[in-house]
Amino acid sequence: MKRNNKSVMNMVGLAAVVGLLVFSSLSFGEEAYDEGTYGPQAPIVWAKPVKGVVFVHKIHTMDAGLTCDNCHDKLFEMAAGTAEKNADFTMDSLYKGKYCGACHDGQMAFAANTRCTSCHAGVKGYNRLTGAAPQGKAPVKH
Amino acid sequence: MKIDDLEKLENEGAENLPSEERRRFLRFGLAVTGVFVGGSVLSLTSARKAQSDMGPVPATGAFPYKPHYTMVIRQNRCIDCERCLEACAKTNNVPSYGYRTTILQREREIERGAKERVFMPVLCNHCNRPPCVRVCPTTATYKDKKNGIVMMDYKRCIGCKTCMAACPYNARYFKEENRAIDKCNFCYDTRLSKGESKTACAAACPAGVRIFGDLTDYDSEAYKLIHMPDKVVWVLRPETGAMPNVFYMND
Repeated sequence: MKRNNKSVMNMVGLAAVVGLLVFSSLSFGEEAYDEGTYGPQAPIVWAKPVKGVVFVHKIHTMDAGLTCDNCHDKLFEMAAGTAEKNADFTMDSLYKGKYCGACHDGQMAFAANTRCTSCHAGVKGYNRLTGAAPQGKAPVKH
Repeated sequence: MKIDDLEKLENEGAENLPSEERRRFLRFGLAVTGVFVGGSVLSLTSARKAQSDMGPVPATGAFPYKPHYTMVIRQNRCIDCERCLEACAKTNNVPSYGYRTTILQREREIERGAKERVFMPVLCNHCNRPPCVRVCPTTATYKDKKNGIVMMDYKRCIGCKTCMAACPYNARYFKEENRAIDKCNFCYDTRLSKGESKTACAAACPAGVRIFGDLTDYDSEAYKLIHMPDKVVWVLRPETGAMPNVFYMND
């Protein structure tokens, strides 16, 4: 009787946990972002050769269905910020099919020479994303 | 006065009218609409004038200066890398609290709720009818008679900032070091007069956004760009009647 009681309590506990899981997944209605599957959640922000170029993993993996090995390590090294150290990390290289240009060719994804500001957030975007203070906006002294 | 005679007068713009003049004009407008209500529409603009007001680009040959300097901004190419701002500040000794040119930013809703960033480089428009020149009490700011650049004579400037208030483009700032107003002069003193063909900002732009040129040179890139029949060209705040010389387009 005593043992039975305990197992009943276990069953109730398990049901509660399962229920909670099902309920939470139903109520949020979307898959949680898993960095192991989809890559880092924080945007990658390049500063060279021009400041403020933004790459978001979620848009490419979770939303567009790409896997890690679609881009790593052939197009991009795993370590963030490696590409911008290369001298050929330029728009010209992209037009020749390197880096982002492998897909952004106008067929698979929008061409690299269109919709510039989709990826380029500029100095203003760079400061916003990295929390850097905008330069040249010192208060006026009178 | 006949319409032909009226056309010969120079448009002084509406912003400098005394309020009495405004009131008289409104009363006149009310009288006209009162008389003509339900009747035919009266146009006080002649058809010839209306035609020439169709676009912001002046008719070929109607450029008053030689060279007639212009800047064409291919807005969709701007990525706010701000190399132009750095080059301008370095070339023209612009302090950190002011600017001769800057880049504005806004977000625009496009299809399916997506948003698009738009960067808009702005600078002095070197207007054909510059409101800043009109209001300056000491003629410290003037429009160069030969090339049409709106320039500053720092020695004459008393720092009253009336030109800052008059400028429709917010293109002027008070430079503490000079105790005078400073503004873009298309790098006239720092580059153009020394034989360079481009302003510092245009030379620094990696994306071909800022195309500096001469509208009287029909072979120049700037002239060709704003006369492409399949492109829309616009200017900022055309309603002020200042006739700006900085043109915007997307390509």
